[in-house]
Amino acid sequence: MNAIFPTGFTAPTALYLSLFAVTLVVHAVFMHYVLAGSTYLAFGRLMGPRRCAVCGWQSILVDWLPFATGLAITAGVAPLLFVQILHGREFSTANLLLSHRWMAILPVLIVCFYLLYLQKSSWLARRRWVWRTVVASLACSGFIFIAWSWTENHLLMLDRDAWAPLYESGALRYASPGVLPRLALWFFSAFPTLAIELVWQGRLLGLDVTRPPAAAEVVLGLSPVRRLALAALSGAAGMTAAGGLYGQTLTAVDREALFGPLGGPWLTVAITGLVVQSGAWVAAAFCNRMPHGLGVVTTVGWLATLCGLVAARESIRLVHVDIATLAERHATAASISGFPVFLTCAALTVIAIVWCVVAVRAGLAR
Amino acid sequence: MVSDGLSVACDSMTPLEHYPVVDLGPIMKGLAIGGLGIVHVFLAQFAIGGGLLLCSLQWLHMRGGCPLARRFIDGYFKVLVLVSFVLGAVTGVAMWFTSIQVSPRTIGVMVLEFHWVWATEWTFFCLEVVSGYLFYRYGPRLPDATRLRLLGLYAFASWMSLFWINGILSWQLTPGGWLESRDVWTGFFNPGFLPSLLFRTISAAAIAALAACVLINAVPGFSREDRVSLVAVCARPLVFMLAMPFLGAWYLGVMPADSRGWATGGNVPMTLFLSMAVGSSTLIGLYAIVAILRQRLFVNGATASLLLALAFVATAGGEFVREGVRKPFTVRQYLYSNSIARDGVAVLRARGSTTDDPYPVRDAASYANEQLVLGARVFRAQCSVCHTLEGVNAVVELAGGWTIEQRRINIAQLQRTKPFMPPFAGTPEELEALVQLIGWIAAGRPTSWDLSHDGHVLDEIRRRMDEAGTGPGNPAATLAVHRRDGLQDAGVRPGGPP
Repeated sequence: MNAIFPTGFTAPTALYLSLFAVTLVVHAVFMHYVLAGSTYLAFGRLMGPRRCAVCGWQSILVDWLPFATGLAITAGVAPLLFVQILHGREFSTANLLLSHRWMAILPVLIVCFYLLYLQKSSWLARRRWVWRTVVASLACSGFIFIAWSWTENHLLMLDRDAWAPLYESGALRYASPGVLPRLALWFFSAFPTLAIELVWQGRLLGLDVTRPPAAAEVVLGLSPVRRLALAALSGAAGMTAAGGLYGQTLTAVDREALFGPLGGPWLTVAITGLVVQSGAWVAAAFCNRMPHGLGVVTTVGWLATLCGLVAARESIRLVHVDIATLAERHATAASISGFPVFLTCAALTVIAIVWCVVAVRAGLAR
Repeated sequence: MVSDGLSVACDSMTPLEHYPVVDLGPIMKGLAIGGLGIVHVFLAQFAIGGGLLLCSLQWLHMRGGCPLARRFIDGYFKVLVLVSFVLGAVTGVAMWFTSIQVSPRTIGVMVLEFHWVWATEWTFFCLEVVSGYLFYRYGPRLPDATRLRLLGLYAFASWMSLFWINGILSWQLTPGGWLESRDVWTGFFNPGFLPSLLFRTISAAAIAALAACVLINAVPGFSREDRVSLVAVCARPLVFMLAMPFLGAWYLGVMPADSRGWATGGNVPMTLFLSMAVGSSTLIGLYAIVAILRQRLFVNGATASLLLALAFVATAGGEFVREGVRKPFTVRQYLYSNSIARDGVAVLRARGSTTDDPYPVRDAASYANEQLVLGARVFRAQCSVCHTLEGVNAVVELAGGWTIEQRRINIAQLQRTKPFMPPFAGTPEELEALVQLIGWIAAGRPTSWDLSHDGHVLDEIRRRMDEAGTGPGNPAATLAVHRRDGLQDAGVRPGGPP
């Protein structure tokens, strides 16, 4: 563990670690949009009917959250697959220990998914504001419950000593001092993601923050870009605070992984990215617009933060597993053929998806 | 210690992996995974068939064969997204999680052996979701040619998703040459692959056609004439059901002989479920071909819903049989239903199935003695995946009425007692503990219960276990493996050593 993640392991282990990390980042891109988007929407609804009616971001979110949820679920399948190759025993054990409480995320996800569609419906739009607020709040609460369950599941995977006592007790909740700060860290990290994604999405959908805002777009004295800056900077501040608290709960071994050669460089990347994107958001708030170049800088900073966080997260996990057993299992997995077929199909799928988007744009232009 | 002498490809596997076993109380775990699986398969087949149907409708529309198709496609697709993209997708993930709850080792083996196949399937799933959502969102505003291409891509991606998953699912029952070669493609293109793929494709087309008949009646704005003409077009895929008996027979033909035996009279529930599937499919096929396609009768919403419900029954029956006929294996000749490796039975008979189990029994104090606690551990390790203690398919219901001697003999020779049961994979002490546990529960859980450590009893249990061997109990299953391994059929006793 004296080399930067994911190097320093056998080639098969490095391959599966890389695939897991990359697909987890892709999943987080959509999952953050859903988590922060549903929270933004619920918060916006609580601001009152008039204000939410004029907020362009809320309109976009209402319209796109169901699709983003579909993408988040789809993108989530790949890391779910690779985590079972990497840490199948631990993953299954944590699932089994949390049992019905863990499985509850599935009906909750279905309900939340339908609530997002309900928010889009003209039927709900005709209902009183209070009902729209209730629906938005329920969806948001459901997604937070799912995030909490994943956090608990992840930490339980790492805590082998807790497995047998937890099973014997029959408890369906894993109480660990790390759960809340870690949940808060990931929850707040979703807001910078949402903010930058809305910048680019807004440009495609007519809410362009590269130009100065119109008076009608101002809500609570904040222009669209300032509302995003507020969300992103609040998220960054929350991340910093939660990250600090979470750091307090880590063991000496965890810290060694996080600050040592394995995770240290990635933590630096994450922190640097956070500083860069925070600075860019401050600049955008001052300018009251997000010029294209600043948008690119923010995006790079955000991506660095996300990648750094994922790699740092995995570095901590790696000190909790038996690397020799892991390497043996990964060597077996890598000896099974099919990788070229996967790569070819993945490449063809990317081409086909790009073609779909281009064809639809061309079709709409006609 | 006598092994059955059969060598299969799992000899390097750990005999048994210990996980914290979930207790669903009176609910049998098979009911949970089975119920969810049936719903998921039905929804997935609806999505796959829907893609094929809508693509063909769009093509017909562009050639002037169905002027109403465009409007109908857009309505159908909304339902497809709301039902299949939400419930279908989440139940897919739920299948994975529920499989872990029921049998983590089985799903672990499936993931490990076929992880690149799963990953490949995922790429098509991504394409299906993106092309589907784009069509849902922008389809009504797109020109016909773009719509056809988008629908074509959606249909292709969803069918490819079936293609990949089908290979893994059919491998569980008919792994074929994979047992020797361990080659992923030999396992994937197993003997059951093609008949299963074709059968499922036709099922998907039929489900989608019946769902279309329901929707044609449900979507407002169509006149009676419009509906008649749409039903006539949408019901056409039902004609492919004519091939179902042949494909079904083909699938039965490639099944292992003992599995075929369960479905065709050897096991009453399985035969009943197969009859249910065949009967429902026959009714649908007859009605579709005679009434809808030949006599051009109008199908109203109620009739269409009834036919769709019958299709659900057929799916449920078919899936139950597909899952059930694998017994006593979960992966044929490789992993028993209770996740014990086939070649691990002999090891566990020497070492014990609970020796390495790190998880204590809950409420251990409520048992009358330590032997009963051991019995509970044995039950958890070997029986709980298919049985409950006192609920559905309860061991106490099945064996509580037997005399103690019967229990000892029948469990020691479990694969002979019921050929779809795996052999007992533990020490005589563990078997006796299980026997005592069943007796104790059947007696109403008295507060005191005598320990049973009679050496003669344990010797007799050992002798009975050795006599039955460590292989599966069905003669056909045993003989098939012997033939494959080049051993003489003569002298092979069911479940016993050659």
